[in-house]
This record gives sequence, structure tokens and C-alpha cells, in this order.
Amino acid sequence: MARYAMVIDLRKCVGCDACTVACRTEWDVPIGHARTWVEQSVTVGEFPNVSGTNWVAQCNHCDEPSCIEPCPTGATFQLKNGIVKVDTDLCIGCGYCVEACPYDARYINPLTNKVDKCDFCEARLEEGLQPACVTTCTGDAKFFGDLEDPNSEVYKKVYEEGAWRNENDNAAIGPNVYYLGTPEQLEIVKEKFGPREPRLLPPAQAWKNILKPVVLTAIGATFAGQAVAFFNQLRKGEEPIDD
Amino acid sequence: MSISRREFIKRGALTAGALTILSGTTVKGLNKKNFPKGWKGRQRVKEIPSICEMCFWRCGILGNVDKHGKLLKIDGNPNHPLTEGRLCARGNAGHKLAYDPDRLKYPLMRVGKRGEGKFKRVSWDEALDFMAEKLKKIKAEYGAEAVGFFPHGIQARFFEHLMKGFGTPNIVEPAFAQCRGSRDVGYKLTFGNSVGSPEPLDFENTDLMVFIGTHIGENVFTGQNLQFANAIERGAKLIVVDPRFSVAAAKADYWLPIKPGTDTALLLAWMHVLIYENRYDKEYIRKYAIGFDQLKKHVKDFTPEWASKITGLPASLILDTAREMGKYYPKVGIHPGRHVAWYGNDSQRARAMAILTALLGSYGRPGGIYLSSKIPAPKYPSGKNPKPGPRADGAGTVYPFGSRGLGITNGLIDATYDEDPYPIKAWIVYSQNVLQSIPDPWKTKEAIDKLDLFVVVDIMPMEQYLYADLVLPEATYLERYDDLYTVKNAKKPFAAIRQPIIDPLYEAKPGWWIAKETAKRLGLEEHFQWETIEEYLDYRLSGLGKTLQQVQAKGIVVYDKGTPYYDFSKPIHFKTRSGKIELYSQTLKDYGFDPMPVYEPVEEVPKGYFRLTYGRSPVHSFARSQNNEILHGYMPENELWINSTVANQLGLSDGEYVRLENQDGILSNNIRLKVTPGIHPEAVFMVHGFDQKSPALRLAYKHGASDNYLMSRVNIDPLSGGTGMRVNFVRIIKNGQPVMVSGAESIVPKFKKNTKTRTPKKRIVVPQAATEAGESEEGC
Repeated sequence: MARYAMVIDLRKCVGCDACTVACRTEWDVPIGHARTWVEQSVTVGEFPNVSGTNWVAQCNHCDEPSCIEPCPTGATFQLKNGIVKVDTDLCIGCGYCVEACPYDARYINPLTNKVDKCDFCEARLEEGLQPACVTTCTGDAKFFGDLEDPNSEVYKKVYEEGAWRNENDNAAIGPNVYYLGTPEQLEIVKEKFGPREPRLLPPAQAWKNILKPVVLTAIGATFAGQAVAFFNQLRKGEEPIDD
Repeated sequence: MSISRREFIKRGALTAGALTILSGTTVKGLNKKNFPKGWKGRQRVKEIPSICEMCFWRCGILGNVDKHGKLLKIDGNPNHPLTEGRLCARGNAGHKLAYDPDRLKYPLMRVGKRGEGKFKRVSWDEALDFMAEKLKKIKAEYGAEAVGFFPHGIQARFFEHLMKGFGTPNIVEPAFAQCRGSRDVGYKLTFGNSVGSPEPLDFENTDLMVFIGTHIGENVFTGQNLQFANAIERGAKLIVVDPRFSVAAAKADYWLPIKPGTDTALLLAWMHVLIYENRYDKEYIRKYAIGFDQLKKHVKDFTPEWASKITGLPASLILDTAREMGKYYPKVGIHPGRHVAWYGNDSQRARAMAILTALLGSYGRPGGIYLSSKIPAPKYPSGKNPKPGPRADGAGTVYPFGSRGLGITNGLIDATYDEDPYPIKAWIVYSQNVLQSIPDPWKTKEAIDKLDLFVVVDIMPMEQYLYADLVLPEATYLERYDDLYTVKNAKKPFAAIRQPIIDPLYEAKPGWWIAKETAKRLGLEEHFQWETIEEYLDYRLSGLGKTLQQVQAKGIVVYDKGTPYYDFSKPIHFKTRSGKIELYSQTLKDYGFDPMPVYEPVEEVPKGYFRLTYGRSPVHSFARSQNNEILHGYMPENELWINSTVANQLGLSDGEYVRLENQDGILSNNIRLKVTPGIHPEAVFMVHGFDQKSPALRLAYKHGASDNYLMSRVNIDPLSGGTGMRVNFVRIIKNGQPVMVSGAESIVPKFKKNTKTRTPKKRIVVPQAATEAGESEEGC
């Protein structure tokens, strides 16, 4: 089984937004929201002694994702290959996971009222393609692959070149988007783009303790009711409609 | 309520799934085949290769089309030799151009006054009959040269062909005078060849890249960007000279935050160090260059200390960077720049860059500038063009080194305005944006007032369309065939085709159709002897041993016979007057110009003002893409970069809106401040192309500020005719009041008297044209 990961080389990235537009068109991400986003020319210092970097971010498909637990319906889950996904059939758009993600990598799509985020272009992977952002990157700065495969580029960049994980005291949950950069660049990243604390909203905490059993019962009861109706239907000799 | 069997089972499964997950177990390995829904890749039925036109770089694309013929998404074409399947933000957003609801949809004829934007819809027949009738009348009365043609890009080639057949010499593109003209003049005078496009920089092999104003990363051309990034990864060093801390500067080993306008002083000092410290390529210079002794004498006093006082750069930094070049030559890639129309001394600055390149021995050598190759794509047989009359734009005469292939836009606008040397009665603007790309748009409007016929062929209703007598809607690059696109400046030169990915929307027509139909009405059918565009392309591809059909699947034919470097085992002839690299130019001397570049100080920034500089963003092209739904979403308006120390002094804060007033009292639209340590205190910077003034551009209208509308004056480069545009000064207006340091005063009255740009120029006559006519080059 694979463990998918991405490495972004900030030394090569020019912050041109090709990746984010490709992602947007691939997944119809509405304007004003993003599965992946870029900040160009983040500059610190005093003229003329300055340093700067561009910044690219997205869902980190963490080892210990903080977004799964708060989800009341189980819409957010993780595949064995590490991809954290949202099942839009189950998502009720409550936004608890959005608050829980320390990287702000999730948004509620206003057109569908469902949560959306990067899934490493899983559909493309199934077709043998790379994620859209990787394919189009004009600086060849994004690398995607299997961290368990010693021959993969990401393996080399992570284990041999020492690509860095964007973690801090707020959140250390094993992000699987790694970064390469000059020490100056990584300094800026740490200062400006480190993860925040995962926010478990009071309702979400309440959910865990009180609401969860109630909702579980309700869901089960609803189905039980439907089952009763269904079998009543059969008993009355009505043919179920096949649509 | 009755439920179906399938629905029942599905709900049961969902419930079971929900219960499992909710009870705390993470389901691993779940992989529903139909999920996620609606991925476009699954709706794709065709992938059609073509070439992009979101900018002039023309990268390879693949249009993903669904079964209804709708364009779902654009990908890069992996067969493209320069981009390897990559595509920039604009290319990725290209479908939004085709599907822009604000597009020009039908031929329109003006019914109101010019500028009012009142039109009636007409048929193509009516439109073309009207245009042809007018053109014939103007030709009969004033001669063919009374028609000016403003083309851009390969889409305009067929109409350009028609205009040459019609007999006008007045064909002008901003690619020359507003962009890279002076660069090409400087390099041609030195090496005998202009650099051309794409710039043939051998970043694959370079050890040191040198950028002077070039801002790759913000100015994104996918292929060049890729090579740049790969060179960085490879460990190539980078020197960036720029008053702004650009994306490239942030990656540089040396950033030289130069005082704007003083680049030539730096270049001369670099030459001084290389020559006087014996760090130049002596053998290359001895064998292939003339004028070294004169140059050595010329730069004797141009020490780093001298340049330090002028440029504001530490002398040690100038010295160190010169020594870096001396260490890595000939594998030094000095980017010749692209938009170089800065101060009016631009051809001489380009000469200085070319001479520096020569001293490092890097022209025609690995790691430097490689050579372009020819591509055998024959022209379709055509009727003979009439001998055109004298040009009105001054190319080859007033501006002796002005290109007669690309012409001088501002020269033709001046001629129209002044009716000198003869009246210009018609303009046909084809894919150009004359009010946002050529400075002093007021003068352009006044020139338009003098026309009997003003035709705009375009995709979007840009401001200029408001003034047009006739508006012709052009098909987008996604909807048409175009002329064959040949790329000579590639190590493996290639030809690429543009072919329709979708059918033209509305009544938009491709350029070849418009030109051919107009030719019929002008009695110029002999210039369009092909029946179909496919037949035309077949003919041109025959030189590469291909048919159109064979090329359609990949979109690209690579012609693997180029030799990108000089073979130094054989004698080398440079196409200069002497046959050698001309460090000293006798040609320039003969025309009364400095034979070697000298530093001429530019006008100082008045107290309380800033020098207005401008450049690119990776999410917009020129003034062209601001209405694209996606790109507008990324950057709906531009920002004004201002130095943070200066902003603090003036009490200005990041994110607040101000206006700008230039030296002539011209006021900009609102613009948001970007307070940053990454810009020279003397300058402010904005991305070009904003504050679109056409209300028909519903997204872009009045968003941001227009740099072009603050350029009420220019310094003309006497060699090329190029418009130096960084000679405008602005002050900041906040809440209707100027924000200036104490003691500073308005300079408006002083400059209002200066009507230099409106005064007809004294025309000098030179004995013979210094440039060859008829060169056809790719523009920017």
C-alpha cells in the first residue's frame, strides 16, 4: 500500500498560480475559495536588506488528521494510502472540520453546501495521471508520489534531501506536504504560515459527549422506520418501484 | 411514501456506513469508483492539441472537450518542446475567454458619436462591404499608404498579408516601440542579429544568470520560467538588477536594488572591471570582435566607485558581481530583457548589455545565448505586392534603426495626428489595444478623430471599440485555425499548429476568413489562392514533410536540424557591417550617435514625487485578460508598491486606497497600497493593464489604476523610435489631498507648459534605411 505525499520546492516555485488555476478548473472550485492557494512575494526586512519567498499550501493529508474526529456524519475519512477525503453524500456542511483543520485547507462550497478540499486529485491518480497542480507547475516545483517507495522522487526529497514538515507547537499532526527551501525561506514560512491550533467548536465538543449518541440513535431509528415502511409496502403486495 | 428497492438498499448502506464511522472507526481503503462526482476527466471525449494565445508565448495546449463539444478544461501539451506539458495560470484559464459573456458577438456599425459606444448589429456581408468600399475610396483619393494597420500576433497574419497586397507600408506593432524594439536594435548593431523571441537563453547550461529588470516569475512565459527554475535547482547563480525586490530577486545570490534609470552606468562599470582586471574572454574578443581598444579606453574611468555614486549601489557589490561574471564566463546568461522601452536611451543600454555579453564570450556558446535556426515552411504562392510608398512612422528614416517589419506605432499615431508627412485616413486595429498599450492615449484618441475609417477587429469590447466605426468579432484562439507558428529560437526548432477546439461562438469569425472575404471585395483574390485553410496549412507543412492531418494528433512538428551554437573550428561571419562583433559601432558613428554606450543621466525625481514603474503579474496578460472570470477573481485590481520606510514617513498604511497624480496633473483611479520593504524609495510600481475604461467589460471596468493613462509623456529613443515610458512622476493623493514630504510642492504648472509630446517633431532625413524591410517577427 502506498503512502502518498507531496514535496514543494520553494526555491523553484515562482508563485505564479498556475497550480491553483489548474486545480480550480479541474474541480470547479468557486472563485473566492481554494483547494490550493499561493502567496507571491512575501517579503520581510528593511530595504535593501530583505528576504522573501512564495508560499503554496493545500490539504496536508496528515498522519493524524484533526478533521476526522469532529465530523458528525463520518463524511471525512482517510484512505489507507493517506488521502483524506470528504464523502459529499454524507457531508452536511456543518463546518466543524473546517475549524478543526490547523492549515485552513477546507472550505464549504457555497454552490453545494458541502465541504471541499484537496484530495491529491485521486480521480486522476486512478487514471495514472499526476495531480493537476503537479502536471502544470511552470517551475517544476511540485513533486508527488509514494513515500514508501524508495525510488520515488518524494522519498528522495524527504529522506535524503531533508524536506521539511510545516509543524509547530500549535499542531504537530504529521503533514504529508513537505517543503524544500532556503533557510531564509523556511524562516518566513515558520513565522507567517505555520499551523494554528485546531479549533474544536463548542458544539463539536458537545457533539462528542452528548449529541453523538443521540444522532446515532436518530439515524438508526430513521432507517428502522423506513425498513418498517418498506416491508409493510411489500406485505401489502405493492411492487417496489425500480427507478 | 413509497421507496424503490434500490433506494432502500442505498439508504441502508448509508446508514450502516454512517453508524460504523460515527461510532469512531475510520474506514480505510474505501474507494468508491463513482466518487468524486463530476470529475471532468471522465466527461472528456476528445483531447485536441493546439497553441495558446493568452499571451504571445504560445505554449502547447490540449483542449479537453465533452460529447456536446463544450471545452471543459485546458491542459498543457506534453509534446511541446519548451513547456513539456506545463501551462501558466492564464493558459489554464483560457476557456473563460471563449465563454466570456461580454465577448464581441456580432459585427457592429457605429450609430452614435465616436466614444459613445452606440452601435447597430449588421451582417458580415454588410460589414465587409462597408469596409471594402471605404478602403477603396481612401486608396483612390489618398493612396494605399493612407491606411494604417495595427496587427498583433499570428492571428493577424492573414490580414497583414492582405494589407501588404493592398499596398500600405504603414503596418505597426507595439512589439517594437513599446516593447523589445530597442533591445533588438542594440543586439543587432553588436552581433548582427536581433535576439528574437522566445529569447534563446541557454539556461540549461548556464552557470550564472544575469537579469536587468527582467522579472521572470511575475512575467511568466512557461518555457522560460521552467528553464529558469531548473537552472536554480541545478545550482546556477543569479544576479538580479531591479529597483524592486521581484520574485527573481528573492531567489538571487545578488540583488542590486539600483536607482531607477542608471543601469547603463552599472553596465559600464562591469565592463571596466572585466577589462581592467583581465577577466574577459580574450580569445573570443581577439578573434571575433572589433573595437576592443576603443572600448578599453572608453570605460577607463567608469570604475565601480564612479558607478556607485550614480546607481546608489555599494562599489563592492558592483565589483563582486563583475568578478562573478568573470569567474563563470562564457557560461553566463545575460537576459537581454523584453520590455525595454524605459528611458529613451534604451538602444544604447541594450548595446551595453550586448557588449558585456560579448566580453564574456557567451554569444553563440553553451550557457549563454544560443543561435536560432531556420524552419523550412514555404509561403503559399501569392500575387505580387505593389511597391509601397514611403512610410509615415519614421522607421528607417527619422528613427534610422526602427524596424520596417514591425514599424513604430507612436510614429504612425504622430503622423495621423499631425497629418505629416501625409494624411492617414484609416486605421484597422487587429488584436491590438491601442489605448492601453501605447502611451499618451489622449493623443491616440485625437488621432482617431481625424480618421475617415476606424475598424477594430477584436474578441473583447476593449475601450478602443467605443470609438470604432466598424467592429468585427474575431474567433478566439480556441475556435480557429491560424497560420503555422514556427519557433526558430529553440534548440530543436519546431512548428506548431493552431486548430479549432470548439466551434466559433456567436458570429465570431477566424482571421483567415475575414482576410479572405475582404480580399474578394477589394479585388485582391490573387493574394489568397487557397480554397481552404487546411489546404493552406498543408502547403506550409510540406516543407517539413508533413500534412496537416499528420500533425493534428500531436499539434507539433519538431525540426531536429538546428545548430544552436557556433562551430568555432570554422570561420564565423557575423551579420554586422564589419562581419565581426562590433564593440565600437562605426554605423552608429556615421549616423551621428555614440559609437559606444555612454551613461546619460535621466531626469531626477522631483521632491515629493515617485518615479512610476510598472510590470507584469503572472495572472494577467497586458491589458487583455482583466475581464476573464477566473483571472479577475485572482487579481481584480492592481496594487501600488511603495517603500515601507517612505510610507511610514508619509503616514500611509498597507491596504488603503489612494489616487495618483502625475506631473501633468492627470489623476488615476483608486489604487490600493502595498507597503513593502521590497522597492526602491524613489519608485512606485504597479502591474500594467488595469482600470479598463470600457463599460462593456463588466468585470474589469474601472478596477484598479491604469499606468498607461499616467504616461502623458515619453522620451523617444532616437535610434529605434521606442517610447521610454519610465519618465513619468506621480504623487500620492489621499482623501483629495496630496501626501508629500514637508517642503515638497506640486510640479504640475512646471510641466504643463511642456507640450513636448504634442509638438510635431523636427524630421531629419537620413540617406539610407539602416534596417531591412519585410522582416516578419513575432511580437509581444
